[in-house]
Amino acid sequence: MSLAVIDAREWQNRFDLETGQPRKSDAPVAEMAARVLSRHPYPGDVDEQANQWVTDTALDLISHYDPDLVCLSYVQQFFSDRHFNHSETERERLFAAAMAEADRFVELSGFTPVIVGTGNMIPLAGDMDLSGLDGLAVSSNWSARYCGIHHPSPRDMEFLNSLDTLERIVPRQEWIDLFQAAQPDLEILQDPRLMPDFLAVAREGQAFKTMGTTLRKPVHIPANNFQVPVVSPFGPVTDLREIKPLIRAHLSTHKIALILVEGVGESFFPESRYMVQNGVDWFCYEPGDAFYLTLSTGRHQPFAYPAGFRSFDKDADAIKFPFSGYMDAVPGHTLGLNFPGKSIAVGNRSMFMHMAFGVDISIECFARNLFNQGCMAVVHRDDK
Amino acid sequence: MKCQFCERTCDLTNGRSFCGMYMEENGRVLERFPDQWCTYNPSRIESVPFYHAYPGSRSLIIGTAGCNFRCRYCSNGFIACRDPADLQEVMYTIPADRLVAMAKKMGCHNIVFNVNEPAVSLPSLERVSHYARKEDIPMGCLTNGYTTESATRMMMEIFSFVHIGLKGFSNAFYREFVGIPDMTPILRNIRMFAQTCHVEIASPVIEDVNDHELFDIAQFIHDIRPDIPWHVFRLLPEHDMKESLYPNIDRMDQALETSRKLLPYIYFHNFVGSRWVNTQCPNCGHTVIKRFSLGCSGDRLDEFLAPDNTCPECGTPIPILGTRVAWNEKQSVSWEAIS
Ligand code: SF4
Repeated sequence: MSLAVIDAREWQNRFDLETGQPRKSDAPVAEMAARVLSRHPYPGDVDEQANQWVTDTALDLISHYDPDLVCLSYVQQFFSDRHFNHSETERERLFAAAMAEADRFVELSGFTPVIVGTGNMIPLAGDMDLSGLDGLAVSSNWSARYCGIHHPSPRDMEFLNSLDTLERIVPRQEWIDLFQAAQPDLEILQDPRLMPDFLAVAREGQAFKTMGTTLRKPVHIPANNFQVPVVSPFGPVTDLREIKPLIRAHLSTHKIALILVEGVGESFFPESRYMVQNGVDWFCYEPGDAFYLTLSTGRHQPFAYPAGFRSFDKDADAIKFPFSGYMDAVPGHTLGLNFPGKSIAVGNRSMFMHMAFGVDISIECFARNLFNQGCMAVVHRDDK
Repeated sequence: MKCQFCERTCDLTNGRSFCGMYMEENGRVLERFPDQWCTYNPSRIESVPFYHAYPGSRSLIIGTAGCNFRCRYCSNGFIACRDPADLQEVMYTIPADRLVAMAKKMGCHNIVFNVNEPAVSLPSLERVSHYARKEDIPMGCLTNGYTTESATRMMMEIFSFVHIGLKGFSNAFYREFVGIPDMTPILRNIRMFAQTCHVEIASPVIEDVNDHELFDIAQFIHDIRPDIPWHVFRLLPEHDMKESLYPNIDRMDQALETSRKLLPYIYFHNFVGSRWVNTQCPNCGHTVIKRFSLGCSGDRLDEFLAPDNTCPECGTPIPILGTRVAWNEKQSVSWEAIS
């Protein structure tokens, strides 16, 4: 039974991760994680210190737990670039600083790094207001490229087809077929209400304005990063899905840190980088849940939120995993799951690391829409 | 010509308006941006937070832009404290009838105005209420309560449940942190709303700034009606107060101890995992509603243990507007079925 420790600065509480009910635990690992949490209050998503918080927290956790596998995500530069209009020089500085922070971790920890960028950010060129459809258009805070279209009328289809800012409109089955051809054991959502009838795909630089999109208009959004940069000392990789088996294959001989830097493209990576496939055909993953899960599981996850699901229909009363966003089950096949060695994760991309990587202990910020509520540690295992 | 929607009573001559949402035209006060909304999104009513109105229901959350306050800690400053004219490109144009149809399309049980201050958009909201009433969809709002008497009466017609911010209990606090000279109209309006509407009250607490006023607020609420739910919010350092300290949760909790003797329904939240979000029967102490808090805008109903709005242990009535509504109780209906 996984334990969640919530720290809202000078105040902690412990909960069962699955039910959200208060739970006592004095397992030494939980006590240790709680002490690390209290030593590292989260500065906030766009605070300059947010990436330093990732490094410092991870180093503290490493010094007490001695893991073999570390998963990190550095995201401050992504949030900052997405929402604030920095000068080009300042943008460059932010991205370079994120890479430098990853380097600082590597230098101080001695771990062998596999560094993955989620690709470039580009200025928002315009957006499509789909609030007037007869049917329902659903996008999400963090997606720019994809929007689910539910129950469109003929008038809606005519309107959508007239938008030259739209790259394509993909029927549900075509979307499924595309990924099933690439991966026959694809997991498809069972609840048909959640999947849209069509996936609307924006042209590069465009975003959607629909139910569920943010009140804060983005300044920059992810480019169509069909390839993303990866630094790997273990030899070449050509597809995002190859990274998990590559890391697993070398964990018996190396202590490895998988490091994600969001919003960062190839120009900030060393020349020895590999450019790896990030999606299939016209579909590229944006930074976010589907990207993290594809990387961690080594399997395509194109239907992971936020691809435009009608998630409010799913939101039943007795929801499981209340701390874990849209997820209602611990994902299978993740990098840390079933790994016999010790593993940890630390990240500042919301409450996500514990589900994405399946490691023994994860520490992550508890922030939503840039509102900083504190941090959370999740102890999936306390017996190693 | 003076605007009569809030107690600022701006002279709108020469295009002046504090909130930026009204103008004078041909001797009438008109909305500058009618039917323009900054969001439409289904959410749990507990996340607003309304704890004693239609528990468990699905609300269509809407908001506009602009505000008649300038709170130094505003967490929605990027919408509320900017010139609404600059925000029009991010807004949605949705006429009132379509907004109500949208609520039905998404299976929402009610419509709640959140995000900014409804007083700055009352004519649009009045139109929405016209259609909402036809569809039997109640409306609620969050307001700072700084409206004129006539606007308050208008709001009492539009909204059947109201969450009013009572941010401190001194003019000095309101002057320094909110930017208005006198809080008396807010107290008057709370009394007015309490006559016909379901009322809950929210007080953001800032350590060493307004925590010493908490008991006065509790006394005021008690004198109106002790069963009014009171939400004490731990304020996050936001907007112009980013550098402030995060209020200490244990100290805030202790500061509320004496108030708990006056008011049976005190909640302390706006931080993840709060232990103070359940409802206890004031007579026997039995927990009658269990909730879960994920911090700002993330509260939800866990278990509703008060059938017929009474304590199952001792039968004491629990003041709740409406009855418990299951999140997916009504099937969403198609647009065609509505129009
Ligand atoms: S509602 Fe706006 S324009 Fe009217 S008095 Fe208040 S601040 Fe001034």
